[in-house]
Amino acid sequence: MAAIIQKTFIFDATRCIDCRACMVACSVENNIAMNKTRIWVSGVGVNGEYPNLQRDTMVYHCMHCAAPDCLSACPVGAYTKRDDGPVVYNPKKCIGCRYCMNACPFGVPHFDFDKGIIEGAFIDKCTMCTQRIDIGLEPACVATCPTDALVFGERVDLLKEAHARIQAHPGRYIDHVYGETENGGTSYLILSPIAFTELGLPALGSLPVKNTSEKVMEFTIPVALGWGAVLSATAVGVHMANQKKEAKAKQAVPAEEPAEEKI
Amino acid sequence: MPNLLSRRDFLKVGGVAAGALALGSFLPPWVAEAARESGALDASDSGYIPSMCEMCVWRCGLLAKVVNGRVVKLEGNPDNPHSNGKLCPRGQSGLMNTYDPDRILSPLVRVGKRGEGKFRKASWDEALGMVADNMQSIKTKYGAEAMVFSTTHCLSQPLFENLLNAFGSPNYGTQRSLCFNAMIVSNLMTYGMEEPDRDYSKLKYIILTGRNLMEAISTSETSALSQAIDRGVKVVYLDPRFTKTAAKASEWLAIRPGTDLAFHLALLNVITSEHLYNALFVSNYTDGFDKLMGSISQYTPEWAAGITEIPSDTIRRIAREFAAAGPYAMAHNGWRTSNFVNSFQTERAIAILNALVGNWNVAMFPANGEESGVLGAPPQPAYPRNSAMRLDGVPWKYPFVPLSMGVFQELRDAMLAGTPYKAHGWFIARQNPAMSLPDRGRTLQAFSKMDFIVTMDILMNDSAWFSDVVLPEASYLERYDPLNIVGDKAFIRQPVIEAQGEGKSSMWIYKQLGNLLGLGNYFQYQDEEDYLKQQLAPLGVSLDDVRQKGYVDLPEESTEFSEPTWNTPSGKIEIYSSTLAQGKFPGVPQWEVPPAPQAGQFYLLTGKVAQFTQFGTQNNQYLHKYSDDPRLWINASIAQNLGLVDNDLVEVTSEVGMVHVRLQVTQAIRPDCVYLTPGFGHLSKGLTTAYGIGACDSDLHVSYSDPVSGGQALTQTFVTVKKI
Repeated sequence: MAAIIQKTFIFDATRCIDCRACMVACSVENNIAMNKTRIWVSGVGVNGEYPNLQRDTMVYHCMHCAAPDCLSACPVGAYTKRDDGPVVYNPKKCIGCRYCMNACPFGVPHFDFDKGIIEGAFIDKCTMCTQRIDIGLEPACVATCPTDALVFGERVDLLKEAHARIQAHPGRYIDHVYGETENGGTSYLILSPIAFTELGLPALGSLPVKNTSEKVMEFTIPVALGWGAVLSATAVGVHMANQKKEAKAKQAVPAEEPAEEKI
Repeated sequence: MPNLLSRRDFLKVGGVAAGALALGSFLPPWVAEAARESGALDASDSGYIPSMCEMCVWRCGLLAKVVNGRVVKLEGNPDNPHSNGKLCPRGQSGLMNTYDPDRILSPLVRVGKRGEGKFRKASWDEALGMVADNMQSIKTKYGAEAMVFSTTHCLSQPLFENLLNAFGSPNYGTQRSLCFNAMIVSNLMTYGMEEPDRDYSKLKYIILTGRNLMEAISTSETSALSQAIDRGVKVVYLDPRFTKTAAKASEWLAIRPGTDLAFHLALLNVITSEHLYNALFVSNYTDGFDKLMGSISQYTPEWAAGITEIPSDTIRRIAREFAAAGPYAMAHNGWRTSNFVNSFQTERAIAILNALVGNWNVAMFPANGEESGVLGAPPQPAYPRNSAMRLDGVPWKYPFVPLSMGVFQELRDAMLAGTPYKAHGWFIARQNPAMSLPDRGRTLQAFSKMDFIVTMDILMNDSAWFSDVVLPEASYLERYDPLNIVGDKAFIRQPVIEAQGEGKSSMWIYKQLGNLLGLGNYFQYQDEEDYLKQQLAPLGVSLDDVRQKGYVDLPEESTEFSEPTWNTPSGKIEIYSSTLAQGKFPGVPQWEVPPAPQAGQFYLLTGKVAQFTQFGTQNNQYLHKYSDDPRLWINASIAQNLGLVDNDLVEVTSEVGMVHVRLQVTQAIRPDCVYLTPGFGHLSKGLTTAYGIGACDSDLHVSYSDPVSGGQALTQTFVTVKKI
């Protein structure tokens, strides 16, 4: 099999100071609403008993798997794995079934409850800042990281770099690069001083979940489409009912009082 | 995955002006024209414009991405050594500083009672006229000294100082006595300079005494420390809290507040008594080592162990390790784990510790500061002679405090007491004393003694809320400032978008006031660009070139090796300071017993978090979005003893004030301490994102000044905590 050149991140937990510059940068770059995010902090935080303490956190967003479960679970082909790494999502194709959310072992795709079924654009997730990497820039989270806890490059090079760091400081890291094989390999490689599960990462085998899930999915596509139709019908019904209710409420309530509480 | 900052947290900003960025306005013709001419923008007004951050005072270089005439993203500028292409969370959020829906968009004049928050819009002519009239009438009735001026570290500060000096008032408040007077005065006494530069690249051993660089982020210095740690440098970190820096250090010592001095005296004791110092460096380049030898023998590690609660073996080991790593060892002399009236002596001990291992020109270097003779300046007459004594006691009570720094909390107390004379007016520029000064109750009382208060800021800050006139400044993305020198370059801050509403640069505002007050000779520039052109004149470089490049190279200084000299009376590093001795202070550092809490009381600690700069960024929606709730930290075992659980609402009481705040039960703090994130508990309802969040530590802080440097002893406040 020919080697695919894949753009990849390294996240090094020993360098991360939990300052959240990456989170702000992501929000600004991608114009994320104030009550939404595509990037999270996880991990044990402060651990131990005073005064014997340690503190470990991880920043994560989409792992951009080589064989993405979100993609294989999607009944309508809303996900694409680009040859150069990013797993991207097309809202125009999405029917809002949320199978990708259940499929992703990292809990990355998020449903937009504010918009929901009626308004479209259901799922939100990291895009690897394709608008930046396509013109040769690093993703926003990486570009601003003050301590280089995040770096970006070609997967082959970064795997070498990750192993070199472990070799140079054997006592500092767990002797494993998370994402090298997990779930069939990810484009987010993680170095950690503590067990990866303590950073909040799932223990995964090297076979992508996809290998088994796709067999099942072959049967579910017709079902999913049917289910989509049911959902759509329900949504339209609910929407119409709501409109009727609102119309009634507007008539019933005097103008100075809001008819419904703001969501 | 278990999220620390979970999706649920994002409900906290809810729908608060989620579309605020849509308010962005288009480049005015002159900004766009200039940017296009300089090549920064293409015909569609898109491109990158180099400028400088102002979310804190570190001044990282930035590249503002402009699309169709709106700024949509800020990137770190790789050309600027303060940022090296990076920006911290505050820098990244800078757009929301400019596009804050709470921006003041026109001059305001108070119509309700002070503090009621009722204002009407006014024209610049009317507002500036009112300010000038009030200032002039105070000067006529009571003398220029009855007008107090205060501001915070910023690039237009020299022009603010021009205004107050030309006006003729000696009463000048800065933030410095609330921050680093102890460090600066100690460096002046020891090295003859305010703050030496530091280089982490060759270091093998670092002692950080409360220098929480991973949360108090100065982008390049934080990055340098991180790289040093990655390389394997040993970091000993002292702090009563397990901060994010403690988590990255090789060794965390939860030292007792107020006892940093004892720890460092004991290090000096071991290094001198065991002859571990760099004898050649000490004899060639320092003065007064013999006097240190005479007094330091009493400060043994065993003595210090009882005071600091750090085992004597640990202290002795660290002293030996530090000396063995010299000259590649550095004790960071910025800030402390806590601030007490003995903080000045702590800083002196740290400065001497560095001298003993001879790390000069290896870890610490002479600093040029921000001044440079190579830039031009508009001509101006000499300032009028000023014989009134300063209200803050400089120099008559604080002989060693530079006039440019002052003792702000003493100034406030004199304004309140009306002695030695009464102040009647207060000009507050880009500063928020209602939040920054200790004992907020007294600050609010001082406001009430003033006939006239004017505040200049981009937001309705808490001091503006109590002002008679509020002047809307243009944000740092909307205006020019004087050039900033970093190393061998001078960097420019330039407008990347039009000012929101009627915001104006402080350079413009000070000049208009100067003209109205008949002091126009002190502001001899047509506009901001003319000022910059006069600065650039000696270099023979055009403003357009600097605007395009973002900086100008300064003439190279001689790099030939010269014997180090220091601007002290002896010309050497002064281990013994005859200047201090003449002022009846100890010539070499001596132990001073700090006050301690009584039974049932806690030390009240303060300290930075990465998302906030002092009191000015809490209203930024991006930072609000990604920060933790500012709760009161308390040690878990103590909480259990007191029957308190996480998130309990508690009443915190000090000698001067009381606040209500939610509790954060944690292992990460000494049992005898509590900690409150500063900058919350805002009074101004004009700050709609920040108002109502957290509690204000300034409500609790008691005013104590260190007698040498005038530094506010910020940790010398003891509190009780009880469940409501």
